[in-house]
Amino acid sequence: MPAMHTEIPELICPAGTPAALRAAVEAGADAVYLGFRDATNARNFPGLNFDEGEFREGVDVAHARGCKVFVAINTFPPAGRPGPWHDAVDLAAKGGADAVILADVGMLDYAATRHPTLRRHLSVQASASNAEAIRFYQEAFGVARVVLPRVLTLAEIAALNRQVTVETEIFAFGGLCVMAEGRCALSSYATGQSPNTNGVCSPASHVRYERRDGKQISRLGAFTIDKIADGTPAGYPTLCKGRFVAGGCSGHLFEEPTSLDAIGLLPKLAATGARALKIEGRQRGRAYVTRVVGAYRKALDALARGETPVSDGTLDALTEGQRQTTGAYLKSWQ
Amino acid sequence: MPMASLEETPPLSPVLLLGMAARPLPPAVVEAVLRQALRRVQAGHPEVFARLRPLGDTAFLIDPVDVPFKAVVRPGAQPPALCVVRDDQPAPAAAVVISGALATLTDLLQGRADGDALFFSRDLAIEGDTEAALTLRNALDGADIDVFEIMLAVLGPLAGPARRLARPGRTLLRGLRDDMGRVQAALTAPLARRCAAQAAELAALEDQVGELRRRLHQRPARTRSG
Repeated sequence: MPAMHTEIPELICPAGTPAALRAAVEAGADAVYLGFRDATNARNFPGLNFDEGEFREGVDVAHARGCKVFVAINTFPPAGRPGPWHDAVDLAAKGGADAVILADVGMLDYAATRHPTLRRHLSVQASASNAEAIRFYQEAFGVARVVLPRVLTLAEIAALNRQVTVETEIFAFGGLCVMAEGRCALSSYATGQSPNTNGVCSPASHVRYERRDGKQISRLGAFTIDKIADGTPAGYPTLCKGRFVAGGCSGHLFEEPTSLDAIGLLPKLAATGARALKIEGRQRGRAYVTRVVGAYRKALDALARGETPVSDGTLDALTEGQRQTTGAYLKSWQ
Repeated sequence: MPMASLEETPPLSPVLLLGMAARPLPPAVVEAVLRQALRRVQAGHPEVFARLRPLGDTAFLIDPVDVPFKAVVRPGAQPPALCVVRDDQPAPAAAVVISGALATLTDLLQGRADGDALFFSRDLAIEGDTEAALTLRNALDGADIDVFEIMLAVLGPLAGPARRLARPGRTLLRGLRDDMGRVQAALTAPLARRCAAQAAELAALEDQVGELRRRLHQRPARTRSG
């Protein structure tokens, strides 16, 4: 049985733009993750991501400060058109990335064959949530790290880490996806586009906000997601955060608009043996990156000194729906 | 406590009072100043406008709700275009409407605030073409635009005196904003307490109604009709 890690986890931070990358590096990220400006990554939003020049410059900026760069190529290529995904893996390798974050078995095979020295991480989009699946990716493609789905409890993560030898990475802050990631079809159902193939969940091109009768109405494609009264906090316009009527009651059937904030659980997260903590939010601005990364850096440094990190509430204003949750980590039911 | 919309009731702030004082200004004057500022942003940050070029002629109505003017900007046009109208006049048609307090919009422009967070807290409102709004937000967030320096540059020979006045002016404005916030809180506190109590009562009633509906659905149809 592998020994439990006891060291302080790495802090893995989002970089949606070159400015966000600089902000993350300055705020104390151990690694940043980014994507190229196309459908090869799961945050293919207008105006976001890196072209080749920005990527190479970003690698230089990060490496100069001892910060690693991971490239997310974590969507699934359509049948017969893997070209852009292959190009993305090649560019990541040529440009000096420290790892690629992949989900598709074809891409994992391509990276392992063509760039065997390039570290391979398994994306959360692969939804590998049990030891057998993780071992398969490790044995077949030499995966060095697995990003675990956001539906596991702390006890389940600790149990997994006792069963596998590969590094694991878990989410600490940001938007929550409660679906089987990489397999969710809600966005496809509503818009014809999905995070799994197009790299975008609930694409902005299909989102409309209107004001009617003192309420903000959010629409996704032909669906009304929510009607929010003035002064009431809002969330992302995704079907999983929508409010629906069922059984005569109106409510958030899948998930309430809320963000994960596990800063108060850091000692427990570290004790699970997870090697890295991930901040979600490549779609967010650099102000978000500065504040969240700064707060988590401070908390992890406190943990390293043997202190117990405490949330000071400074991140509350950044959360979806202006509410925080510890997600599935403390969940007592399945 | 649910509040009135941004459009109906802008926040009480020094900007609101200064905006009232600025109401006699002809829109053409404000437009001339903002056009100068836009030209300077364009010269200093060409990469932003390169990212915005796919937007073409898409028009954005920028509505600072505490100021008596609003602007229609076409940042992707060649060259970028801008016009200013009074808040009580009809504005040219726009694909996107972005509303918020002037300080909020300025923070967003400078990348000092997170657009999603402002949207979640309802300090920022967006209507219309969300993809265009996102493109604009992401392009601006990546640039280090310093609105203060740009406005100083627009002032030309008056920049020196303006810069000297700026520091005490900012301190004064910050103090005024805090004071006005306290005054507003004191004035609205009784109403807020009453609303909070009513909201709690309403939530309890909603829970009861929900529970009753659930029980009704669980009952067999025969029992329900009988």
